[in-house]
Amino acid sequence: MPQLKPFYGGLVLLPAETALALKLVTETDLLRLKAIARLHARGLPADVSWDDLLQEAFARVIGGARRKPDGVSMVVFLSGVMRSLRSEHWRRAQLESRDSYALRRLRDSEDSPDPERSMIAWQEMARIDRLFADDPVALQIVLGLAEGLSPDEIRKISGICKTDYDSARRRMRRALLREGLTSCEKK
Amino acid sequence: MRKKMILTDPAAALTRLLDALEVVLVESSDEEIMQAAMDLGMNPQMKGSAAFAGIKYRTKPRQSDFYDIEFGASWPKSLQLLQRQNSKDTDEK
Repeated sequence: MPQLKPFYGGLVLLPAETALALKLVTETDLLRLKAIARLHARGLPADVSWDDLLQEAFARVIGGARRKPDGVSMVVFLSGVMRSLRSEHWRRAQLESRDSYALRRLRDSEDSPDPERSMIAWQEMARIDRLFADDPVALQIVLGLAEGLSPDEIRKISGICKTDYDSARRRMRRALLREGLTSCEKK
Repeated sequence: MRKKMILTDPAAALTRLLDALEVVLVESSDEEIMQAAMDLGMNPQMKGSAAFAGIKYRTKPRQSDFYDIEFGASWPKSLQLLQRQNSKDTDEK
C-alpha cells in the first residue's frame, strides 16, 4: 500500500512511490509518451527538442519537483508535466524576445500576440493540417479543436455524424502516432 | 452558438489544438501503437529498436541535427545509401 500524504487538499504519491510507479511504465507507454512529447515540442524554440521535453519531465518527476496525484495514470501525469514544460519554455522565449527592439516595434502593445510566436504557430498549424490533407472530416475536427470547440459543437457546426467523427478521430490518432514515432527528425 | 469559426491568436489556437490532440494520443491502445511502429518499419519488441531512440538511448548526431536539409530522391544513390546506413531510422529485419 503506497504511503500517502495530503498535498493541496488532495492526495499525492511520495517521490519513492512515484519512482515505483515509473517502473511500472511499459514500453508501449514510452512510445505513447514519445508521440506526445513530439506533439508538445511543435512550435517550441529551436533549442528545445522532443527528447529534452520528455527527459525533463521524467527528471522532474523522479526529482520530486512534480508530485503525481493518486489515481492518475503515469502517462496522463507525464503528459501534463510536458504540457506545463512547453508553457515554461514559451514564457522564457517570450521574455527573451521582449529584449529585441525590432520585435517590440512590431507589437502594438504588451498584450498583443508575440509576432514571432504567432508566425511559428501558423507554421505548425499548417504542418498539422498537412498531416490530414486527404481527410476533410479530420481537417474540420482540427479546425474545431483549434477553436476550442467541444466534440458536440464540432459535429453540430460541421454536420458530422458521431460514427464519422469517431472514425476520423481514429484516423487522426493513427496519423499522429506514425508522425510521433518516426525517428528521422529531431523535432 | 457561433456560426463562424475565426482564429484570432494563432499561438492560443495551437495550444488548444495540441492539448486536444494530446488527449487523442493518450487514448491510443497498445495495438495501435505497435501497428504505427510496424508501419514505420520498426519492431519495438527488438532489442535496441529505433522506436526507442531518444527515450532509452541517445540518438546519434546526424547532419539533419545541425543543418536544415532534407535527404530526398534528388540525392545520388550512393549518398542516399550512406545516409540510410548512418541514420538507423528503421530496424533491420
